[in-house]
Amino acid sequence: MAEETKKELTAEEIWTTEEGERRSVGVIHIVITALLIGIGFVVGAFGSISFPLGFGVNFFWTGIVVQQVGAIWFGGWGVIAGAIFPFFSNAIAGTPFYVSLAYIPANAVQAFLPAWVFRRFKLDPRLKTGKDYLYLFLTMIVSSILGALWSVLVVLKGFGLLTTDSVPLFIWGWFGGNVVAGVVFNFILLKALSAVVIRTTAFVKKWWA
Amino acid sequence: MNKTLLGYVPNESPIYAVHPFVKLYFLLVVSLFPMFVSAPDWNIILMVVIILLMWISKVNMSTLKIYIPVAISMGTIIFLSYTVLGGTHPEFELLARIWGINFYWERIRDALVVYFRVLPMIFTMVFFLSTSRERDIIVAMRSIKVPFVVTYIFAMALRSAGMVLEDFGIVRQAEKARGFDPAGKSIAYKIRQYVMYMVPLFALSLRRSEEFTNALVARGYAFTGKVSRVKRADYILTHYSYKYFDYIFIALITIAFIALLVYRYGYGYFQVDQSWLLRLLRSWVS
Repeated sequence: MAEETKKELTAEEIWTTEEGERRSVGVIHIVITALLIGIGFVVGAFGSISFPLGFGVNFFWTGIVVQQVGAIWFGGWGVIAGAIFPFFSNAIAGTPFYVSLAYIPANAVQAFLPAWVFRRFKLDPRLKTGKDYLYLFLTMIVSSILGALWSVLVVLKGFGLLTTDSVPLFIWGWFGGNVVAGVVFNFILLKALSAVVIRTTAFVKKWWA
Repeated sequence: MNKTLLGYVPNESPIYAVHPFVKLYFLLVVSLFPMFVSAPDWNIILMVVIILLMWISKVNMSTLKIYIPVAISMGTIIFLSYTVLGGTHPEFELLARIWGINFYWERIRDALVVYFRVLPMIFTMVFFLSTSRERDIIVAMRSIKVPFVVTYIFAMALRSAGMVLEDFGIVRQAEKARGFDPAGKSIAYKIRQYVMYMVPLFALSLRRSEEFTNALVARGYAFTGKVSRVKRADYILTHYSYKYFDYIFIALITIAFIALLVYRYGYGYFQVDQSWLLRLLRSWVS
């Protein structure tokens, strides 16, 4: 029992490479990226079709979980997948091609920020302390604000799809849709699967390996 | 029948005579058309053309049903956004005031313009998705020399989306077999249901990633290092060649786009005030 406790990785150890440990980009990372795009495609489309506000914005976007949890676990590969898959899920859900394309920076930020915060502050993806929960929650809020501002003010306003008076509704829709779904899923998924994921070869300690 | 990304199309559909790149080109260029056209009449004509193309391609029109709620909800949101949330504008022409909400002609007109700009873009996307198979997209990407690794990720992503859907069905059946029934339940209950799907879906995908990787490594695939630099034979491309009509289609799409830009910016066509449909509506509501 004592030995088992000793073997359990600390948050610091999760993100640091040990002496002599060599990590490199492998086929598994390419596969993970593809699988994350695949999961996000399906999960994101469900959210977009079930609770639509319009133009790919919805009140409960389940794709956020793939975007943020995937990026925390798989670093840059998760960020790539998180930026790309909404393009496909939105397409299936009836969002115009170029509007979906213009959302990519917003989605990239939403995926990147939690991944960066977990690596920068050496947080535990298994969510062991209050700090892990708090930082995850805050990063979800901040990334969703940035995503909402880009997508609504830059994309939807830029394409002339919204009036100035309806901008707040869409900002709240994007922000709320992401945060609510994130609160429901991100914590549960990280808590349930992180312990397994961090021991797999697919787990990314730095950004690419 | 061929399974496309959005349904099934018969083998004998003429769309399969067209090179997949032409379909991708159509999506990329024709999606731009409504951005330069304000008059809804032209956008409606574009939608009719796309529906005709779908009909000629023998697309099962019932696949369009899933977009009816999307079109209705989008229309409603746009209408509400431009009227209820449209603010007070004394400079506009007030048509009606209902429960304190002002309905201005200019706002209703703008809502219609936006709505009929978005709809053809959606139709173009639906046309592409309902006529393209996974393989067509890969061929289109390979024919414009997209790097192998990108094409491979793309192909695998499309394949894994199908697998996730299958896994989703399995998880759903397993939960139903354990007495989980979401029928007639509240939204909160259905959200809990999503949670119960998500964890096993992720777990299954992680397991699959290992299986995929082992299979790829066993077949000698590598995306980095010396092995990845070996030139690959584009076997799939040998099955597709450009025919004379592919070049004609590409030329027609390009000419149509250039003509659109010339007429729009050179001669001021496709403007709101030239729309006979809006003029008709204007005379009807006044």
